[in-house]
Amino acid sequence: MFESTTTPAQTPPAVLAPEGEPLEFLYQGRRFHIHAIVSRWRESGGWWNRIEDGNRLHHQKHLEQTIFDDGARAIWRVEAAPVGALATFEIELDEVTGTWQIRPTSRPR
Amino acid sequence: MFTHLHVASGYSFKYGTAQPDALVARAAELGMSALALTDRDGMAGAIRFAQSCEHYGIAPVLGINLSFVQKKYRVTLLAQSGKLPALYRLLTAINRFNNENLLTYQILEEASEYSSQLILLHGHRSQLAESIGARKYDSANSIYNSMRDLFAEQVIECTSHLIRGDGPLSTPYAAKALGFARDHKIPAILTNSARMLDRADGPVADVLDAARLLVPLHQRHVERHNSEGYLKSEIEMKFVADEISRMAGERDGSALLTTTHLIAQRCYLSPRRDIGIGGVHLPESSVVGSATHAEMAQQLRARAEAGLSRRYSSSQSVAASVRLEEELSTVESLGFESYFLTVADITDMARSKGIRVAARGSGAGSLICYLLGISGVEPISQGLLMERFCSTLRGELPDIDIDVESARRLEIYDAIFEKYGTERTATVAMVDTYRARHAIRDVGAALGISPMEIDLIAKSLPHIRARNIGKALENLPELKHLKLDTPIMRMAIELAGRIDGLPRHLSMHPCAIVLSDAKLLDVAPTLRNSSDYPMVYFDKDDVEAIGLLKLDVLGVRMQSAISYALSEIKRVEDSTVDIDLLPLDDCDTFDLIKSTRTLGIFQVESPGQRELVGKFAPSTFIDLIIDISLFRPGPVKSDMITPFINTRHGHRSRLTLHPKLDPILDETEGVVVFHEQVIRLISVMTGSSLAESDERRRQLGSHESQQIVCDWFYPAALAEGFDMATVDKVWEVLRAFASFGFCKAHAAAFALPTYQSAWLKAHHTAAFIAGALTHDPGMYPKRLILDEARQWGIAVAPIDINLSDRSYRVEKVDDVNEYEVKTPYLAPNLASTGAELNLPDARGYAIRIALTEIQGISEGEVDTILSARPYLDLNDFVLRSGSAYPTTQALILVGAFDRLHNLHKEPIEGSLNRRDLLLHAQDLYKLSASKKGNVGSKQLTLGLTPPPLEPSGLPDLTRSEKVRHEVDLTGLDISQHMLEFYGDFLNQIGAIRSSDLIHHRAGSTVLVAGVKVALQTPPVRSGRRVMFLTLDDSYGCNDITFFEDVQESCAGLLYSSWLFLVRGEVRRTGPRGVSIRATKAWELGASYEKWRNLNSRERASYG
Repeated sequence: MFESTTTPAQTPPAVLAPEGEPLEFLYQGRRFHIHAIVSRWRESGGWWNRIEDGNRLHHQKHLEQTIFDDGARAIWRVEAAPVGALATFEIELDEVTGTWQIRPTSRPR
Repeated sequence: MFTHLHVASGYSFKYGTAQPDALVARAAELGMSALALTDRDGMAGAIRFAQSCEHYGIAPVLGINLSFVQKKYRVTLLAQSGKLPALYRLLTAINRFNNENLLTYQILEEASEYSSQLILLHGHRSQLAESIGARKYDSANSIYNSMRDLFAEQVIECTSHLIRGDGPLSTPYAAKALGFARDHKIPAILTNSARMLDRADGPVADVLDAARLLVPLHQRHVERHNSEGYLKSEIEMKFVADEISRMAGERDGSALLTTTHLIAQRCYLSPRRDIGIGGVHLPESSVVGSATHAEMAQQLRARAEAGLSRRYSSSQSVAASVRLEEELSTVESLGFESYFLTVADITDMARSKGIRVAARGSGAGSLICYLLGISGVEPISQGLLMERFCSTLRGELPDIDIDVESARRLEIYDAIFEKYGTERTATVAMVDTYRARHAIRDVGAALGISPMEIDLIAKSLPHIRARNIGKALENLPELKHLKLDTPIMRMAIELAGRIDGLPRHLSMHPCAIVLSDAKLLDVAPTLRNSSDYPMVYFDKDDVEAIGLLKLDVLGVRMQSAISYALSEIKRVEDSTVDIDLLPLDDCDTFDLIKSTRTLGIFQVESPGQRELVGKFAPSTFIDLIIDISLFRPGPVKSDMITPFINTRHGHRSRLTLHPKLDPILDETEGVVVFHEQVIRLISVMTGSSLAESDERRRQLGSHESQQIVCDWFYPAALAEGFDMATVDKVWEVLRAFASFGFCKAHAAAFALPTYQSAWLKAHHTAAFIAGALTHDPGMYPKRLILDEARQWGIAVAPIDINLSDRSYRVEKVDDVNEYEVKTPYLAPNLASTGAELNLPDARGYAIRIALTEIQGISEGEVDTILSARPYLDLNDFVLRSGSAYPTTQALILVGAFDRLHNLHKEPIEGSLNRRDLLLHAQDLYKLSASKKGNVGSKQLTLGLTPPPLEPSGLPDLTRSEKVRHEVDLTGLDISQHMLEFYGDFLNQIGAIRSSDLIHHRAGSTVLVAGVKVALQTPPVRSGRRVMFLTLDDSYGCNDITFFEDVQESCAGLLYSSWLFLVRGEVRRTGPRGVSIRATKAWELGASYEKWRNLNSRERASYG
C-alpha cells in the first residue's frame, strides 16, 4: 500500500493507466499489478501557500488557470502484487494420510 | 437523465461561486432537462434562475437550504410541482419567528399546512446523516419518524465529493446513508451539493468562505477538501453513483439514479404557471373602495373629470377632455384602473399628512396623473406624451415614482402598510454585489495582505467593476508608487476579478415598495429586514418580471428643504406661499439661475451644471427642462450641447430637416433632445400612432433591432410622401440620437422642484438657505452653503444657548450694527446685451446655527437644553440643562454663552472672556460631582454657593483660534471664513478672488486659493480621466480642471488635502462661464508655512 506522488524532484513513477484508472506500476524496480482498489479520493487546496513559486505550474501540461495552483490530486489506495508473483495452485489434503500436496496449475510468465 | 437537486448559486451569499444563469447555461450545455436551485438561507436568485431556465428551455426546480433545529445541521426543502406557494409561505413564516433562517420543530408544527406539501432532503449536513454516520441507527430512525407527518416526503441524499476517509462527503459516508435508506425503505437520491461551476473555482470558494467566516485563509479554517462540489456532468455523476452504490453492496448506481430522476420529476416547475413570470398582480377593486371592476373604472373617470374642471379653464378643457378620453380608453383596455387609483390614494394620503409629494419619471406625461394629483406638471402645454409612459402595445407595467420629503418618507411607508396590509405590500430587496472596493478588501483580508496596503488601494479605486481593477490601477497615477506587480498582488487582483459581480448581501431597496393583490405571499416570500419592514426576497427586476406593481417612494431632501423654507417664511414673515401654484415665468428666478450662483438649487448646483447654465442662460421653464436633459453622460459624450448652445445664441443657423418636422424640434433649436421628439418624428414621418412610434423608439436602443426599424422606416416614410433625401437625413438623426434622448416628462418633473427652489432662493433667500442647511439636500458641505448665505448679505448668527434651535432658524435683524454683513453679490452685466441681472438682497436677515451642529451632542441633550430654556447664566445652564461637561465645553468654545455673559467680540484686556467661562464650567462640574457623590440629589446643590465668575486675567482666544474651535466642533467656520486666516499671504502673492476671475482674460495665468468643496471625476467625451475641483474662497467658487498631464503630481494631493493654492490658466466658456485649467496645485497650509519662514528670515536679515 502506498500513495503515488508527483513531486518533480523524483523521477516520475511509471504508472500504466490507459483509461485514467491505474492498472500497473513500476515500484523499486519491480512491476506491480493492481488487484483491487480499496478506496479512491481526490484532494486539492492550499493554493495560497504556493503563491511565490509559479514554477510548479510550468511543468503541468494542461494549465486550467493562470496563476492558481490548487494542487489537485487524485489518490488511489490499492492492493497490488509484483507482476508474475501471482499464480494458481492446487492444494491437496490427503485425508487418509493427513499430508498436503501443492501443484502449480499455471506457470508464472 | 440526471438532475442536480442540491445546487447553491452566488445567491447563497459568500458561499456559492456561480451566477444562477451560468449554472443553468451549463446544465443546458450538459444536456440536462432540469436543474434545481437550493440556495442557502434565501431565495433571492429564484426569479433570475427561472428566467434563465425558460431561456434555455429546461425545467426549474426550486428549494432552499436551511439551518434546522440546531445551527450545526442543515436540510434542504424542495417545492413540488404546483406547490411553490407552500415553500414561499413556509419561508415567510420562518422569518416571522426568527431572522436567522432557522427552521425549528415549533415553526414546523405551526406551519405544517405548508411544510406538508414539501419534500425534505436529509443531506450530508443533516442530523439524520450524522446519526447514520455514527452508526446510531435508532436515533436516526426516530428523527425520521418524528417528521413523518410534517412533510410530504422525506428523502435521503447520498453525496460523495470523493473525500478521503469516511466522514461527510466521502463515499463510505454516502454508502452508509444509502444502506440505511434501503433498510428502512426511504427514497434515496444522488446529489452533488454543488456550489461551483467548475473545478477551477475552488480558490474562489475558499475566498468566499474566508470572507463569510471572517478568517484568513489557512488549512485550519478551510472547509473545502477538494474541488468536486461543482456542476458535474451526467457521466461524472454516474461514476459517483456507482461508487456509492457498490460500496453499499449494490451492483451499480442505476437504482439511485432512477429514484433521483423520479423525485426530480415531481418537482418540475413551470416558469410561467408556477413561478409567475410574465404575470400581473394589481390591487383588487375592493382596495380602492369599489365593488366591481366596472365601478372602479367609473371611479377613475369621475376623479379625473373632477380634476379637469378644477385645473383647466373652459377654453383649454376641450383639448384636455379629448386627451383624457384617449388615456382612459388605454387604461381601460389594459385594466390598470386600480394602479392609477392606488397611486393617487397614496399621494393624497401623503398630502393629507402635510407631506410634500411630486411624481417623477414618465408618469408626468399622463394627463390622468396630473388630474389625479399624482404629478404636478401640466402635460399638454409641455408637450408630454402618455404613450411614453403607458400604451396598449407595451407588455410591461408602467412605472410611477413619487418624490417625497426625505425626512418623512417612512411615514408614507407606514401609511401604505397600514392601509394595504402585509398580505399585499412589502418593500423590495436590493442585491449588493461585489464591486472593486469590496472585492479587493475581502480578497486582501483572506490572503493576509497588510490592511493598510489594501485600504490604500481600495480607497483609490473608483466605483468600478472588480474585473476592471487591474486596468484601473494602471491608470491611476497616484498608485504608481505601490508595488502591484508582486505575485501575491497579482493573485489578489485576479481573485477580486473572479468574485466580481457575485452577490454578497441582501439589503432593502432604498425606495421601492410593491403593491399587489392578496396573492402577494404566494408569489414571493418575504422576510423582516433590519428596518423591520416586510421585504420580498426579490429585487426590482424580479418583481417586475412577476408582475408586481412597484412604486418608488423616493425621499428627496430638496422636498424637505422646500417644506422647511415654507414653514420658516410662515413663522418669520407670517405669510403663506403656495409654491405649487406659482406661475412658471418669474424673471428674478431665471436671473438668479443665469448668474450661475445656483448653490443649493435642485439639479443645477453642480460645477458642471453651473458651467452649463452659464453658457445656456435658461430663461423659461422649458429651458430648465432642456438644461436638465442635456446634462447627462450621453449628451455630454456625444456633444449635443455645443450645437444646441451655438444655435441658441445665434452663432450657427438652425438645422432643419423638413418643414413638417420643424414644430417638433423648434423648442430645442433643431437638436433632438427628448424621447417625446423622437416619438413624434417617427409618427409624423411614417403616419403611425404615437404608441407604435414609441415601440419603434425603444427598438432603436439596441444595435440588432435598429436594422429592423430601418427596414420598416424607409418604406413607411416614403409612402407618406417624404423624399429620399429627407428620409435619409431623418433616419441619420434618429439613429444617432435615439439612445441619447431623455424622457421629457421625467426632466419636466425634475424641473419643477428646480424652479421652485430657485424661486425660493430668489425671493426668500434666508428661509431657503436655512432649509438647505437643515436638510442638507445638495452635494456641497454645509460650510459652503453657510458662506453662500453671507454672499447675499445674510448674517451668520452664532450658536446661542438661548436662541439656537434644533434646526437652522431665520431671524430678522433690526440692529444693523449687530453683525458684519457683506454687500450682496452683484452679477456683472451681460456683455452681449448689457442687461443687468436682478439678484436677491437678503440684508436684514440672519441665520441662526442649529444646536445639533455641536459635535457629539445627543438628541436627549438637545431636548433637555431646549425644554429648560431660558438660562440666566452658565451656572444656571449647568444646573438645569442636563448637559454633559464635554457638550458644555464645546458650547462655550463656539461662543454659545458670549451674549448671555456680554463677552466682547474683540479681546479687551481684563474683561471676562471664553477662557474664564471654561474655568468656571470646570469648577461648576467639579462642585456638582462632589455634591452628587455626597447627597445624590441635585436639589441640594442649589443651597450651596457656586464659585464666583471673575476675569482670571488670562488672554482671550484669538480670532483664528475661535475659527479653529468652530471648525473642530461644528465643521463650520461661523465667525469668519477659514481663508481669512491666510489673507495677508494671499494678498502678497497676488492670489485672486473667485468673484474677480471673470475680469481676467482667457489664457492668462492666475493663482487662486480656497477650501475644497467638491472633487469629481465625471465621464467625459474623450474617456480620459479629468478631475474637477471646486474651491470656495468666501467670494464664491472657483471651478478648476485637472487634465492628465498634471494629475500625476497632483491627484494624490487633491484626494488627501482640503485647503489648496492652485496655479492655472483662465478659460472662458460662455457669457458668464469661466473656469481654470490647473497647471500646479499646492497644499495651502504648507505654502503658507514656507512663506512665513521666508518672511521671518528676511525680517531677521534686515533687522
